[in-house]
Amino acid sequence: MSSRFPNKLAAVALLALLCGCHRDQQQPRGQPLGETVPAAASPDTIFPGGATPAPLDPRAADYEHNAYAIAQGQQLFTWMNCVGCHAHGGGGMGPALMDGKWRYGGRIDQIASSIADGRPNGMPAWRGKLTNQQIWQLAAYVRSLSGQVRKDAVGARADTMSNTPPQTETIRKPVEPADSAQ
Amino acid sequence: MRRILAGIVAVVVVATIIALVLWSGRSHRAIPATTDYGPASSAKAIAAPSASPPDDGNWTMPGKDYASTRFSGLKQITPANIGKLQVAFTFSTGTTEGFEAPPLVVDNTMYVVTPWPNNVFALDLTKPGAPTKWTYKPDTAAAAKGVACCGPVNRGIFYDSGKLFLNLLDGHTVALDAATGKEVWRTQVADIQKGETVTMAPLVADGKVLVGNSGGEMGVRGRLTALDEGSGKIAWIGYTTGPDTDVLIGPDYKPPYPKDSGKDLGVSTWPPGMWKIGGGSVWGWLSYDPKLKLVYYGTSNPGPWNSVQRPGDNKFTAGVFARDIDTGKVRWYYQSTPHDLYDHDDINEIVLADVPGPNGQRIPAMLRPSRNGFFYVHDRRTGRVLSAKPYSYINVYKGVDLKTGQLIRVPSMEPKEGVVLRNICPAAPGAKDWNPAAFSPVTGLVYIPHINLCEDMGISNANYIAGTPFVGADVKMYAGPGGNRGVFTAWDPVAQRKVFEIKEDLPLWSPALATAGNVVFYGTLDGWFKAIDAHTGKLLWRFKTASGIIGQPISYRGPDGRQYIAVASGVGGWAGAIVTADLDPSDPSGALGFVNAVKDLKNRVAAGGVVYVFALPQ
Amino acid sequence: MSFSGFQTMLGADALESSNFLTLFAVFMAVCVVMYLLVIAALLIGMWRGRSSREQLTVESGRHHETEPAFRTALIGWTALILVGLTALTIASFFTDRSNASVAQNPGLTLKITANQWWWDVEYTSPDSSKMIRTANEIHLPVGVPVEATLQASDVIHSLWIPNLAGKQDLIPGRTTDIQLLPRKIGTYRGQCAEFCGIQHTHMALDVTVESKADFEKWVAAQQRVAFAPTTPLQLAGYRYVTTRECSACHNITGTPAGGTIGPDLTHFASRRSIGAGTLPMNTGNLYGWVADPQSQKPGNHMPTIGLEPADLHAVVAYLETLK
Repeated sequence: MSSRFPNKLAAVALLALLCGCHRDQQQPRGQPLGETVPAAASPDTIFPGGATPAPLDPRAADYEHNAYAIAQGQQLFTWMNCVGCHAHGGGGMGPALMDGKWRYGGRIDQIASSIADGRPNGMPAWRGKLTNQQIWQLAAYVRSLSGQVRKDAVGARADTMSNTPPQTETIRKPVEPADSAQ
Repeated sequence: MRRILAGIVAVVVVATIIALVLWSGRSHRAIPATTDYGPASSAKAIAAPSASPPDDGNWTMPGKDYASTRFSGLKQITPANIGKLQVAFTFSTGTTEGFEAPPLVVDNTMYVVTPWPNNVFALDLTKPGAPTKWTYKPDTAAAAKGVACCGPVNRGIFYDSGKLFLNLLDGHTVALDAATGKEVWRTQVADIQKGETVTMAPLVADGKVLVGNSGGEMGVRGRLTALDEGSGKIAWIGYTTGPDTDVLIGPDYKPPYPKDSGKDLGVSTWPPGMWKIGGGSVWGWLSYDPKLKLVYYGTSNPGPWNSVQRPGDNKFTAGVFARDIDTGKVRWYYQSTPHDLYDHDDINEIVLADVPGPNGQRIPAMLRPSRNGFFYVHDRRTGRVLSAKPYSYINVYKGVDLKTGQLIRVPSMEPKEGVVLRNICPAAPGAKDWNPAAFSPVTGLVYIPHINLCEDMGISNANYIAGTPFVGADVKMYAGPGGNRGVFTAWDPVAQRKVFEIKEDLPLWSPALATAGNVVFYGTLDGWFKAIDAHTGKLLWRFKTASGIIGQPISYRGPDGRQYIAVASGVGGWAGAIVTADLDPSDPSGALGFVNAVKDLKNRVAAGGVVYVFALPQ
Repeated sequence: MSFSGFQTMLGADALESSNFLTLFAVFMAVCVVMYLLVIAALLIGMWRGRSSREQLTVESGRHHETEPAFRTALIGWTALILVGLTALTIASFFTDRSNASVAQNPGLTLKITANQWWWDVEYTSPDSSKMIRTANEIHLPVGVPVEATLQASDVIHSLWIPNLAGKQDLIPGRTTDIQLLPRKIGTYRGQCAEFCGIQHTHMALDVTVESKADFEKWVAAQQRVAFAPTTPLQLAGYRYVTTRECSACHNITGTPAGGTIGPDLTHFASRRSIGAGTLPMNTGNLYGWVADPQSQKPGNHMPTIGLEPADLHAVVAYLETLK
């Protein structure tokens, strides 16, 4: 029996290394103190004369597949009454967020910009009402509504009582934004 | 051995009996066309003489007259000749949202108002093809669409003394010169930053323009504002909640029941401060009695939908006011649904009619098919309830106690936080939502286009942020008993019962029109414009329009003397939001729960915005 | 962190906890007696064992018999156990009855909703306009029976005010209740007693038991709307609080701030602690909390906003007026 132990110990040690994975990093204070939201990540448009769209914001990866950010975004989605206009992705007063149609762009930085600055047909502007980190977290959750994020980052249960099934129990065929700004 | 045999025989007999009972009680798959409940009674309601003048061939206000009868006295079109009814002309508005308003016709000019952006067109009916005389484009703010709960709709304009009165979605009331379309005055009556919009049709009478705000789902403070007809200046504001000085309750206030009497009820029946965001908006129909000089209207649900957050009766929401039109002071108030639990607003139309009393006298009454499922008949002088019978399937209320006026609830159907309450009937849009019924003084019946929906509801804590929804509920609606989502009922208000009923597959979201030719018109969500016999309900004629019908049909006399029928075809509103807003049917809680009830609608109809005008061939 | 309150199960400051203490004493007495007897029997058995052991072998033929003294002892022992257990059961039963009897005629009704990681306290009333809402504290008049309905909004918590009563769970989707009849005036500390997440430790409840007159004064103060700002700095703070991030989550009755997600702040400055017992209430701690709540209570739901210094001074000045 003692001859089997070194291998088992090594296996456990290897597993422990995996625990430093990104998907569960939590930075409750914002990173560092104070996050920013892109002033205007442009919705999909023509870039005349061969110009190219700006590259995806590097923070996208930090938030998009981070389980903590998605879980916080899920809580904020109900608390800030997003659910009152957008339901649980199906829409109502506001457009559906779980399909592939995005009026103002479906990349996470475009969504964060929409939340921060509002949009002309009735989306309120939340800059100054939410912290920028909260806006990124909400944008990450909105991305998850159309199945764009990794399955292991999505919450198996909401952090509160919920009247609708958790995202791990709904059909999760990713619905890509129709436009090409990915 | 014998005992075993006897046992087997007994079991077989019992099983057969049970099977027979179950088989005979099965629900029928096919929806029968019309169910007849027997003839109307001989004692009839008649239109209130003071509020319902004889028909002059025009249609100058959304309800046809101050009594809101929606009845046309023209009788050229009858069941005998309606088979020949055909399209006379059409008019495309260029807007494809929900069209809830009727076209108005005044002296051979037709006026059409669109949902946002609230354009107004004047069509010259004397020329072939009804060309446009003028167009008015108010530049209504697009941001208002973000705080309009149930579509950026407009329920109508009002013509009076050469002017047209129009409410814009972003909270302004506008007076236009009817001949030229030029703006005479514009007054702000609501603030979109607080979540308020205006979708209702104004009522103009006695030199006052009466306008109410919308936003019962947005935590607004409901009110009725009276503007001076000539200048647009605010004359008085009657709030739905708050101290008596704001609600305009004074020594003349005489409610019909003790439950609605007291001091500062608009504050004392709410937790501290919640009356300021308590809803009670005035987004529905107003009626007016010129003899009593009282304007009658109902108020919306209290906010939030989560009733646990607002213990108390929540006055003066979900009830009916009678206000003096000159001062706004409340004469009486009746709360139909105290401490509303299911978003059962009370803004439905109020038909002013006189009903025969027990001693053969005529009682000035009001008839209202309310959202909570009861058909109320009140004495409109005092507010006293004469009868309140259910016109739809209800399992959350037991009835109305006529002695105390109190609504009797089913205690087990009270929503609690953290639990989903299932099979609530009627659902949040009620037994009937805003779409008004028509009253025919010829038959004495009220023609009610309505719905048959039940729902599951789970409530949770609602957060108040001005300009965002203040709801706190996840809802999923579906068809009620019988499987049909819509139903058209002809109701005898004196005998208090159904005379006939037509089951419809889709919820009925269109108003009704009754004519003296004994034809009744209504439209379906997938675009069928239907005409039925006013006595029997038999389908006489139908026409498939381009988009769903949720707007008021009207009838007018054209310049050539023919009777015309006009209706706007453009699906939308709360029921049609899945089409106009392109919602995703895989989330049943979309559109406050309505998406689940009309998942098939996107496959059956698309958005539109065309006015159809029909007439018999010359 | 120092509390002027007292947090002990042996306080006996209310009916429930004094009942508990009595029951505890009864249990101790019975169990101590039994314990001593058991030890005595063990000692006797050990001392007598050597000599009497060989007398009970097969050869001696005496293995069928038991000594009369032994049999008497066994019978007596069984009887003692029966009497003891019966006494304990009866004592327990009457304790439960006494605790439950408080619910029959409550003089005060509370509704406590547990959230991660703060307590939402409502004093209910048949007249809804007289309701009081506060957070992380309760005031109770001495000698008045209290019925508290308990709910939770997210995960299971447990309410434990050791000086006054035992634990009672707050379970999402269910309603439980607890009865309290405080007997001694004083300040006490309650605590969440069911692990509920990262800040379970900082979920305390400040309990004040006071005379009826003082309680009425406190109720009257709570029913008032929030004080209006008077100085320009307070006004600037009022403007920030009611239009910026704060009003999205917090309610201050009498102002446009109507958020229901976080604790009610209408009378915030009159509380003993900040953040459900995380910090004592004073100006310095208030600055620290508003500037960076995540450093004091990491992981709690109030974000670190990163206020500008001028805004920080203004907000704290306004919050201090909310007595």
